[in-house]
Amino acid sequence: MRETLTPRERFGLLVIDEKPDRCNIIPLVTSHAAEIARMKLKKYYTNGEAMARAQIAAIEEYGHDAISIFSEVGIIAEAMGSDFDYPDDDLPVIKRPALTKKNIEDIKIPVPKRDKRLPVYLEAIGYAYQSLGDKVPILAYVPAPFTTGMMLSDPKTFLIQTIRDPDHIKKIMEKSLQAAIEFCYDIIDAGALPIIVDPLASSSVVSPKAYKNFALPYERALIDFLHRYDLDIILHICGNTEPILDLLLETGADLVSLDQVDLSLAIEKLSKRMRIIGNFDTSKIAFSSPEEIMEEVKNMVKRGIKSKKGYIASTGCEVPIKTPPENVRTFINAAKEVGWYWE
Amino acid sequence: MFEDLKPKKINLTEWSHQFRKISDQIIKKYKYYGNQDWGIYLSPPATFMVYGARQLKRLKFDNSFAALRLWGFVFNESERLFRAKQVGKKVIATMGDLGTIPVIVMSFPDCIPFYPECIWWTPFFNESFILLDMATKLGAPEPACFSRAALAAFYKKAYFPKPDLMFASTGASCDDYSCIMQLIEGLGYNPIWIEIPFRRKSRSYFVADDYEHTKWGIDYPKRFETYLMSEYEKVWQNMVEFTDINNRNYLAKSIKNANRLRKLVENIKKLSYEAELAPFPGLELMVIEFGNLYGYADFDEWTDIIEMVYATISERVQKGEGVLNPDALPIAWVTPSPDPYLLNLVEDLGCRIVATEYVINQALVEIEEDIEPFQALARSFLNASLIGSTEQRVRRIIEGVEHGRISGVLITNMLGCSHCAMETRLIQQMLSKVPVLSIDVPAPFGITEQLKSRIAAFVETIRCARR
Ligand code: SF4
Repeated sequence: MRETLTPRERFGLLVIDEKPDRCNIIPLVTSHAAEIARMKLKKYYTNGEAMARAQIAAIEEYGHDAISIFSEVGIIAEAMGSDFDYPDDDLPVIKRPALTKKNIEDIKIPVPKRDKRLPVYLEAIGYAYQSLGDKVPILAYVPAPFTTGMMLSDPKTFLIQTIRDPDHIKKIMEKSLQAAIEFCYDIIDAGALPIIVDPLASSSVVSPKAYKNFALPYERALIDFLHRYDLDIILHICGNTEPILDLLLETGADLVSLDQVDLSLAIEKLSKRMRIIGNFDTSKIAFSSPEEIMEEVKNMVKRGIKSKKGYIASTGCEVPIKTPPENVRTFINAAKEVGWYWE
Repeated sequence: MFEDLKPKKINLTEWSHQFRKISDQIIKKYKYYGNQDWGIYLSPPATFMVYGARQLKRLKFDNSFAALRLWGFVFNESERLFRAKQVGKKVIATMGDLGTIPVIVMSFPDCIPFYPECIWWTPFFNESFILLDMATKLGAPEPACFSRAALAAFYKKAYFPKPDLMFASTGASCDDYSCIMQLIEGLGYNPIWIEIPFRRKSRSYFVADDYEHTKWGIDYPKRFETYLMSEYEKVWQNMVEFTDINNRNYLAKSIKNANRLRKLVENIKKLSYEAELAPFPGLELMVIEFGNLYGYADFDEWTDIIEMVYATISERVQKGEGVLNPDALPIAWVTPSPDPYLLNLVEDLGCRIVATEYVINQALVEIEEDIEPFQALARSFLNASLIGSTEQRVRRIIEGVEHGRISGVLITNMLGCSHCAMETRLIQQMLSKVPVLSIDVPAPFGITEQLKSRIAAFVETIRCARR
């Protein structure tokens, strides 16, 4: 089949409930892009132009349908005062959470154009938008308040406080929400669509009850803010989300990106109101043979495109950095073979 | 309600900043087709930039709430057309006649007319060659004008839905666009062809003809009126067959609605052009004029927006407020520019647009309400600039020059437009009293420093001539 549309046109149709020529194919090619561009990881996440160049190199290499501006989920927490180490060949590692040094009242809402590595993202968006913005959507990953909150504290203390001192947690959430809103505001102005990522809210990390009380209300508040702009918002929660599938509907997200969930169950529960994104196992994309990937991706996409409100073929989480490019290519080719809507 | 600030042209970032002060309640108040889920359109320019309209990053917009509504609505048109189909409305392409056939289409409940050729703005708003390159591949390369983008859009099916019915005007309307429509037909679409007569001027060679003139003093052979009426009858019958509805009272109502908008726009132009200070920017005023063609696919909502614009402009005029420098030089603009940035640029360089000849006169004049509706439509269409001589086209501009209101004339030629190539020299000859600059609007990204210098020199010439 011949591709008729650009990724931008394809995504544009999806979000207005129209079927494009084929399903969007957006494996979460984030820091893996540095590998494609043969770039040191440290350069990728500390230099906006480098991040954009790596993402563009990945698009040229794979021909997938969106640019992903992302390195890791600590970016807002860092701008709020958490300390990170920057290894040359690995992603930033948290050294000292902000709340082990200061009270929540003393933590300032960051200025995205100025503080820590937030400008790196904005610069990357600007560069990518200038280069490919008419053809390819630019997605900028924004850590949700719950994930940022946990990166502001020592995770163990944070989880205990959700039970012992919920009011304190809510204060952290409010501040993290404000910080996320300010970041989104500048992301939009730079030309990218914010995608909300909340990996630490998954049922692999917290109970459905904690999700409902502390993560969901702030995901929803952030999504409500973005809906003021009439933007179509993706919520990505990796790990296991099966126990909270029903709750996801309450977030108001327009598209939901899932990981360890039975795809058919997700379609059954969510696809009347949400477009489904997912959910190829990332360990398989890293370690399986191209033949196995080809077959399994085809099976996934055949089920995915039955989703009522639309479907994006994707990986459940980020494509691991060292994934063989051949495997990513196979993922995309498999999805391109079976993901057609138009005759 | 959002309090308008002192009138000013602001950029996208400034609009985003202002937008934060608008309450959720107000955002939800404005919606097309009355739909609360997807019909909301009050978004700042940044939203549309995120979805690929790259030029918005460097354009400047009026800072009024009315302008925010206007832009949000206009940029939502593509989605609106798809949504129309999703909720069972019929989407009707009315190509080439620019303003009259939509009045007939809107007489049928839930039928939405639109102009695929208006997509010629998209390559500029998106700063993108995607549509133009695709048009080239499909057989419409550069010698055809930017409206060839419509061919690519029909092929891609991503900019508007497949029309339920298509009317394609040919003949005197535009030969280039007729060719584009033939190519569209070749893609498997089935337009119903409508013939447009050429409104010749000279009576002496056609002695057998009875002549009439329109309310606006344009001469035409009477049999052309009869001929056009029969073509409109053909449109009507096709619509009747398609919808199974046949009620001529609806046509009278549709004409009334069209006139309501046309009167509003006429008043807006008069107010804006005659005020001491320019109360509204030229770019927005161009978008307003073009809204007369079909109301950007929701005529009622568009009319409501234009009422708000009118109120805003009236208030500014009353308060003596403007968006441009008081010493901005009054110029006329001939033929619309597909590149919106040019309108910004010309104002930034010190001009103020006080007269326009965008070749859509037929959509600006009122349709007579006291005669038979098809005759009224024919008589309004016969005012069209596009189907008559260039001399008639320029006459109004010359009147403006003679009244001393216009100090210069800017003609924006379209790359590939055969009309422009022939007309420009004639216009220049006829307008000998004021400086005239004719520029070719280049393809996206084509506004060079050299072009900017030419416009700056033109402005300087006007300034000297006025001294
Ligand atoms: S710009 Fe010229 S050639 Fe193109 S459609 Fe208009 S009149 Fe025809």
